[in-house]
Amino acid sequence: MKPSTVNIKLAPSRFKHQVPKYKVTRSDACINCGTCAKTCPYGVHERVEGHNKIKPPINYKCIGFECQSKDFYCVAKCPQKALSLSLNPMYATLGDFRWTADMITGTWIMAETGAPPERKDLEYNVGNSGGGFDKLRFKFPAHPKKVNKSEISTEIPLNRRNDGRANVVISTPVYGGGMSFGSVSLPTMTGKAHNATNWNTFTCTGEGGFPDNLLPYNDHVITQVATGLFGVREETIQRVKIVEFKYAQGAKPGLGGHLLGEKNTESVAKMREAVKGTSLFSPFPFHSVYSIEDHKKHIDWIKEINPHALVSVKVSTPNDVDMVAVGSYYAGAHIIHIDGGYGGTGAAPDIAKKNIAMPIEYAITKVHNFLKDEGVREGITLIASGGIRSAHDLVKAICLGADGAVIGTAEMVSLECVRCGNCESGRGCARGIASTDSELADLFNEAWATQRLTNMYNAWNLQLVDLLQKFGMKSVRELVGRTDLLTHIDYSSQETESDHNG
Amino acid sequence: MPKKYHIHPKATPLELDYFFKFKIVRGENCINCGKCTKVCIYQAHKRSEADPRIMADPNTVVCKNCFRCIQECPRGALEKSLDKVYLNTGGAYWKPDMLLTLYKQSEDGNVPVSGAGYRGPFTGTGFDSMWTDMSEIVRPTRDGIHGREYISTSIDLGRRLNHLVFGAEGQLISKVPDTVEISLPIMFDTPAEKLSSSIKLAMVKAAAELNTFVIIPVADITAEFEKHSDNIIPRMTASEIDTHKEIIKKARIVSVDCDNSVLNGLADLKDKIKKIGNALCIIRVPAVKDVEYTVNKLAHDGAEIIHVVADYRGQEINSPAGSGSRHLKDIIRSVHLRLVEDKLRDEVIIMASGGIALAEHVTKAMLCGADLTAIDLPLMVGLGGRIYEEQKQILVLPEGLSKLPNSVITQRMVNLMAAWHSQILEMMGAMGIREARRLRGESGRAIFFEEIDRDTFGKLFLK
Ligand code: SF4
Ligand code: SF4
Ligand code: SF4
Ligand code: SF4
Repeated sequence: MKPSTVNIKLAPSRFKHQVPKYKVTRSDACINCGTCAKTCPYGVHERVEGHNKIKPPINYKCIGFECQSKDFYCVAKCPQKALSLSLNPMYATLGDFRWTADMITGTWIMAETGAPPERKDLEYNVGNSGGGFDKLRFKFPAHPKKVNKSEISTEIPLNRRNDGRANVVISTPVYGGGMSFGSVSLPTMTGKAHNATNWNTFTCTGEGGFPDNLLPYNDHVITQVATGLFGVREETIQRVKIVEFKYAQGAKPGLGGHLLGEKNTESVAKMREAVKGTSLFSPFPFHSVYSIEDHKKHIDWIKEINPHALVSVKVSTPNDVDMVAVGSYYAGAHIIHIDGGYGGTGAAPDIAKKNIAMPIEYAITKVHNFLKDEGVREGITLIASGGIRSAHDLVKAICLGADGAVIGTAEMVSLECVRCGNCESGRGCARGIASTDSELADLFNEAWATQRLTNMYNAWNLQLVDLLQKFGMKSVRELVGRTDLLTHIDYSSQETESDHNG
Repeated sequence: MPKKYHIHPKATPLELDYFFKFKIVRGENCINCGKCTKVCIYQAHKRSEADPRIMADPNTVVCKNCFRCIQECPRGALEKSLDKVYLNTGGAYWKPDMLLTLYKQSEDGNVPVSGAGYRGPFTGTGFDSMWTDMSEIVRPTRDGIHGREYISTSIDLGRRLNHLVFGAEGQLISKVPDTVEISLPIMFDTPAEKLSSSIKLAMVKAAAELNTFVIIPVADITAEFEKHSDNIIPRMTASEIDTHKEIIKKARIVSVDCDNSVLNGLADLKDKIKKIGNALCIIRVPAVKDVEYTVNKLAHDGAEIIHVVADYRGQEINSPAGSGSRHLKDIIRSVHLRLVEDKLRDEVIIMASGGIALAEHVTKAMLCGADLTAIDLPLMVGLGGRIYEEQKQILVLPEGLSKLPNSVITQRMVNLMAAWHSQILEMMGAMGIREARRLRGESGRAIFFEEIDRDTFGKLFLK
């Protein structure tokens, strides 16, 4: 259910061409009769008045093999049998096991339109990783309680401690992950914050300081305090509703942040109070924290500086993540944010991304159960991140025991990230998303970024409401820990209904 | 504190073509507008030098797959695909991306770093079915490769005593065996393929610079290797010992292939070598089915170092794939556990090889129970070698290689090990382990897919 501040508007791609899934080939047998141009309603074929040669097919507009059953199918209509349809080899260069080309394309459509794709040829809910979320499916009750979509609430409270601090409620159980100024461009950062404001949720500064451009969105920004303490000042802690301690990041647990010299431009260096052009490595861990008691001192310090703020603790997912979570509860944290090993990053050693710490799917289960066993689950908000790619991943994470999720890559993809992985080097992202290069950071503006993100959040929310309705639930709160609503391809018996096209 | 160990990488490009991943083709409908030149920040698109009115063929080697030229060309004239050579090189184990990263690491000696999250499958076979642990908050300081804390990757080779025996006067009665310390838990092994002597010489020089060893078949050890004998481990069968006394005499370590005579007469063999010189002895055992029993017997009979060798994909030797053939990861685990059970583990050094293709495999093999690893093919890939799993000839080295200066070949090997060393430090640092000696068998610091998946999802969903 979206807040009144959310307005859905079409936000088309910045680029002239989309990445095509299909390829329409026209052979030499073509006699330029123009039949295909007339028959195709999507404009794949174009014959400009006055030219006698028809233009090459515009592949990305083609709807693919489902066209075969349509009476306007150009391949069948061509009198010369000059046309053929195939998968485009270009599509294989987009995406990877975790974020498939279909998932990226689907997210682009959501960011453009504000709704899940209508196309049936995209598997945008699950990836191809062969494990974790990608092996989980939903089990819908045959006769769910009848609920109206308008009655369904997607709100979650973030303060469950009853400690007199504000009970911050967000309207959709997702917020934006920390991406520092320096790792991403200013329009990316402010677009994220503006969207968080629209959706009455949050975004996070990351560890690069708090640019003034974020001031209008203070109430929806989380100030991150990380090991490098770059740009952290009392006033940046005092002006927000949530302060996050970053102990570790899932993509590179046990390692501090990296910002390579070329991305440390003048403005970035100023914000971080560092020297321009030098590579910045945050240390690991906090050199003042060697125990849960030290950890508590940190949290007390924040609470002292800002008597209203909630405190979130972001950790990665080692074997003992459950202990760390319980420790954080006792240290006074409101939110325990666990970030799985397969999460995003602006720059990390490949060896760390692949190998260090466990995927988030296991960690959610572990932490949720341990908090329950210790009798403190009701007193803390459990947020999961690091591999939440789609609305289905979000719902699965909640069923496994999370209250909500933080997303990062999905936001980047909404801004047309292609996951090429070059954000860290040289001038940064060629597509202007993760770059502070004066030329590249100008490729889009805040308004476009905001609309794309707001649209994508809307599409996820629509899917979430739809799934809740199928489960017969009035609130996303009812979903937490409901593993009985999931099945697993390897373990569950086969006869259970599965459906992943919500 | 031990002296800090440093490897000195140096950018060393090879003047030979390697394969690449993305292929860009410019179609005939290009109108030479130059937009692609503007948008590609990696300079893949340039005008023709001969005729600046038209575009040159795309320099697709530098393409980083950002899609900008594709999406911004006004005519949609550009097409991109996975290059055919890329698709046809490597195989299921030696994935082409792996070859590309080894090649790059050999060029610059750096840890591969990239943006965006992990892109591979959730889990896989062999070493891909485990993760390594890290310490969140509570643990001594560590700053990995960027900082102050020293992390040691040295290990000792040689038989160790279970306990020391002292005499009535408190004097040491036990004879403490000789050990040799190497600075990396990695040795070089010579691949089965024919190598030019210049490559072998480079391996020896690199091993010397890195303070480790290279294992070379004794018949290949010609006079030119003589002055490097400190870093060469001659490999032979038991019957060859008598003919190569001179080489054995100079060696610090020798490697003897395990056969029945060795298995049943280890004490005699050791005596024989001791009579020639002072060398430690590695017994090289193929990782066949039940190899753990062979290893146990050898350890029991006093072997100092046992080298367990799987095939180039880390699979058991002589057992057809699909017949329950184990991967090195599982072989090492059971070798280790057998030895632990018989209280022999601390007395013997286990070296694992076969299928060690990435830096992470070194750490993982050690967590599974190896003291160190040996590698061969990664060094060759660093020299532009290509691996073909589907062919008879697995390794194909580039033709011009032997014409390159020996220093270039050596440096590329040093570079690769520099990158691996840094990556091993990253993993050890995250685990909070500061001594490579302590990695051995630390399975508590590993997260095994089969175990955690069963404990999590199996528990929830198995009915
Ligand atoms: S219908 Fe066939 S022959 Fe006619 S213009 Fe199209 S491709 Fe050419
Ligand atoms: S560099 Fe590539 S992966 Fe990084 S943000 Fe840009 S498009 Fe995405
Ligand atoms: S942008 Fe397209 S039309 Fe223009 S020069 Fe490049 S390939 Fe040719
Ligand atoms: S895809 Fe990007 S990197 Fe590759 S050639 Fe085109 S613009 Fe250059």
